[in-house]
Amino acid sequence: MKKAIKWILWIILGIGLILIPKIFGIYYTNFFVSLAIMAVFSQSINIELGYTRILNFGHAMFFGMGGYGAAQALALIPGMPILGAVLCGMLGGGLLALVLSPLVVRVSGMACAMLHVAFNALFFMLAMKLRPLTGGEDGISGFPIPPFNIPGIISIDMTNPLNFYYFAVAVLGISMWLMWYFTKTPFGQIMIGIRDNPKRVNYLGFKVPESRALVYIVGGSFAGVSGSMYALFQNLFSSDATSGLNSFQPVLMTMVGGIGTFIGPIIGSAFFSVVEELARRYTERVELVMGLTLIIVILFAPMGFMGLYRDLKARWGKAPSLPKI
Amino acid sequence: MDPTTAMYVSQGIHGLAYGMILFLVASGVSLIIGMMHIFNLAHAGFFMLSAYFTYQFVAWTGNFWLALLLAPIATGFCGMLMERFLLRPLRGSGVIGDLILTVGVALCIDALVKVIWGTANKPLSKPPLLQGMVHFAGLDYPYYRLFVIGLAVVVLLIMALLLYKTRIGKIVRAAVSDNDMVNALGINIPLLFTFVFGVGIWLAGVAGAAIAPILSVFPGLALQMGMDAFIVVAVAGFGSLRGAFMVSILFGLMNSYGVQFISQLAPLSMFIFMAIVMIFFPHGFFGESEEE
Amino acid sequence: MKTGKGILMFFYVFSFFFLLTAMSPIQATAAVKAKFDVNKMADMSGFDPNNFPNPTGDTIKIAIVATFSGPAAAVGEGFWLYATWAAYDINKRGGLMVDGKKKLIQLFKADTMSRPDQAKKICEQMVLQEGVKFLWGADGSHIVKIMNQTANKYKVIAVNMISLSEDLQDAKNFSPYAFMSWWQTSQVGRSFAYYFGQRKKEKKFYIMCQDYVFGHEMAENFKKGLKEYYPEAQIVGEDFHKLFATDYAPYITKIKASGAEVIYTGDWDPDATNLLKQSRAMGLKLPFAHIYMGNPATLASLGVEATTGLLIGSPYSNGNPAFKTPEQIKYHKTMMDAYKRFKPPYNKMDYMLGWDPLAMEFSWLLSVIERAGSVDAEKIIKTWEGDTYEYVNGHVKTMRACDHNTIQETYILEYVPPDQQRQSFNIPPYHWSDKSALYGPAFRVPAEKVLPWMDPNLERCKGKKPSDIN
Repeated sequence: MKKAIKWILWIILGIGLILIPKIFGIYYTNFFVSLAIMAVFSQSINIELGYTRILNFGHAMFFGMGGYGAAQALALIPGMPILGAVLCGMLGGGLLALVLSPLVVRVSGMACAMLHVAFNALFFMLAMKLRPLTGGEDGISGFPIPPFNIPGIISIDMTNPLNFYYFAVAVLGISMWLMWYFTKTPFGQIMIGIRDNPKRVNYLGFKVPESRALVYIVGGSFAGVSGSMYALFQNLFSSDATSGLNSFQPVLMTMVGGIGTFIGPIIGSAFFSVVEELARRYTERVELVMGLTLIIVILFAPMGFMGLYRDLKARWGKAPSLPKI
Repeated sequence: MDPTTAMYVSQGIHGLAYGMILFLVASGVSLIIGMMHIFNLAHAGFFMLSAYFTYQFVAWTGNFWLALLLAPIATGFCGMLMERFLLRPLRGSGVIGDLILTVGVALCIDALVKVIWGTANKPLSKPPLLQGMVHFAGLDYPYYRLFVIGLAVVVLLIMALLLYKTRIGKIVRAAVSDNDMVNALGINIPLLFTFVFGVGIWLAGVAGAAIAPILSVFPGLALQMGMDAFIVVAVAGFGSLRGAFMVSILFGLMNSYGVQFISQLAPLSMFIFMAIVMIFFPHGFFGESEEE
Repeated sequence: MKTGKGILMFFYVFSFFFLLTAMSPIQATAAVKAKFDVNKMADMSGFDPNNFPNPTGDTIKIAIVATFSGPAAAVGEGFWLYATWAAYDINKRGGLMVDGKKKLIQLFKADTMSRPDQAKKICEQMVLQEGVKFLWGADGSHIVKIMNQTANKYKVIAVNMISLSEDLQDAKNFSPYAFMSWWQTSQVGRSFAYYFGQRKKEKKFYIMCQDYVFGHEMAENFKKGLKEYYPEAQIVGEDFHKLFATDYAPYITKIKASGAEVIYTGDWDPDATNLLKQSRAMGLKLPFAHIYMGNPATLASLGVEATTGLLIGSPYSNGNPAFKTPEQIKYHKTMMDAYKRFKPPYNKMDYMLGWDPLAMEFSWLLSVIERAGSVDAEKIIKTWEGDTYEYVNGHVKTMRACDHNTIQETYILEYVPPDQQRQSFNIPPYHWSDKSALYGPAFRVPAEKVLPWMDPNLERCKGKKPSDIN
């Protein structure tokens, strides 16, 4: 019975996603795409931050690797398929995570956070400096967006916003599902174990540093996916997407939605996008609205919306409160 | 002194002056992280706020010296309010909670500054006493920068006296190394925190007031300083004033001699240095590894 | 949380003022297809940028794409002033005749927050939801790229009225829907090079720019210009400081020791102001050849002595004296009367010299719409390609048809103390500012010496010379 309801909900969600462009028009369709990109980006940090407690405050590096990877793949390699570009982005993010992982697994807590902010700052400076490679502040732009091609069967024009929407929903949806699946595997339980009590996980015979590294690489790869989708969506990738500020954005979203829960980053991204949209449309002072929103949310729901929901639920029924990070 | 030597010497003094300003901002960050474990992202915002206060006090009274005294105090007071009414209710909710709150405050400061003072560049002149240059042994150097160095040294001495010669300094130092223990001794930790936070913000305020006549006061001022101060703290380690001082001076000198000799790489040098240090000393040169 | 580095053009345009040359080029006047007519101007006494009476309904919809929030919010504020000033005038006159009907001009604030993703969002919102037919902006060449992309996709017109990067009009990025009505980095570099080459007073140059794409482009183009117009010139040093640097002292010490006679800089504020301020404080008295060191408030705070000798390049000025005709004097008076009525944030000193350079750019767009008699993009393109328009001060701009770049003569102006500003500001009080040095002698760089760059790979321009208008 419960399974049937679940399936019905999934089908409704699917139909809803298909119908979004029909109901809301191109503008809100694109709004949804950028929201979904942010949601995947936030989710990829949630895996590290929320599930495993790797304080990665430099996630924009991986986002940047994804964006530059995809943009350069399309700009340099003629005939690069669109999925290939996304894959390049994913590899870019994953590769950087692989390179950094030996360092990152050694440190924890504030030092890890600082390390990331530091590397992010260096990465950003390099993105500005290495203009032949990155285009600096102006970024890489005007690269071709190839059609989605299954040879002999189908070729869909990706410059059409509608087609791109379906492509983005598919890619981002699959990424989301993969991350969800990742947290549900037995390894996902180890991740949570590492977060809550690394020593104990160690005594149980699991290799903590290696596990942390794996989570880190997975997070980096999916940040790469979101970065490459961002580059494809904008048809431009400039250095400001790799700045430290862009690292804080997903952390804030995850936190506001509810860290350590799977649905949290999605809620957070949606909340942020909507508040920003409303603030921009109806006020002249976007920062003030965003700043006050953050302060109010954190004072009244320090564990985010999901934390608030669980607290309320715990008051009536029984549900464990979220762990504090 | 021949001109070349004079040039090298002035580069050294430039480095010292900039290092001192860096130290004033970074020491506040370091103090707050070291003691309260709060990663205060609004710190540079207060630095900017103090520059605006200085501008405002000068506009009202026409007296720079008064502004230099009052602006940091007013800024420190704002910091104490923030600690008391925003950070204290949040205590215990962890690193990321503080982070979000301080980001929120930083955004609000950015916005409020624009509401109150508008978007224009606010020019501020140096006090007449400090205009002009010192001429000494073939070396020309502006008075004001020498004054900034002197001011920072005075602040450093005050801080050192406060920390090492008074009872409250002893408590602060004890609290940096073990919070709970100090609390158990019956000392009012929340009050102490408010005080320390205020002092940290006051330090940023002094830097903001001192730098206002050198830089233009405008709504992006916070961004200009925030990153550099952060790097100092990251390299020096948390809570180490001595470390923050040494690293600030090192960076100041690295900056000026970097511009002199490897100009293309100078903007990068600080970051590369930081990355290397972080690889080998993840907790900074002078920081201690925290136990979790 | 907004990053400052996104601000590409945090600058003060007010420095470019209106001047009419006695030798107003006859050949250009003959070719002018339209001009701004002061006599037709409406009564501007009710103008207030804070309360622009924005019409709704069946209107000509134009979006002002700029940074309206964050540290660079001043940029959007300025753009809004320029656009509302020109639009208020036209609306007071009853609007423009388009598609068989008189329509008023409706303006939209499109806040990019200096972020490409936000720029894409807002441009699409404007075009798809508000039905905007014209995008006018934007600060930052990466933002302009996004704006042009959007225009290209939805077949509306985009006007780049401020970003100087050349690659915006190159073979890869060119869009037939995008126009560029300001000037380019190569025109800046070559204008200065030509000036120094003719003047032959200084020989040793120091280049001091910001360390990012625009700064390097400025430096490159100045060097290229020197090779072309002043081969015996010597570059004694070249430095790039990071954006929003706090301490310029090490660079200044280096410049002092280099023996340079002029410093060429592409810096915009706050960097431009800080560089100038700190240079003077450290006893570096050399002139800066610049384009954005013109904020009247900063100049005033530095005083006359510190600002004398600065050299500004302008794509708007038209030589000395500034006011040649009664119409120009009337226009200036109207503007100054409006300025006196301004309330915050517009009452600041930054606008005290007027805002006609960029308001005129907006007027050009409006004139094109009027003459096309339509808001249809294809008709606009047809009208604008090869168009010439005379600004209120007599400056003539020509839209090159094949790559939508603007051909124009440029000016290099020297800042002189108030008592010498009379040669330029020829009406009472006979100076631009009594608190600082400002515009004095003007040097004309003929249009053919500073033609905008043309990408040889651009298909539409194959077989054409840069001087070909059509």
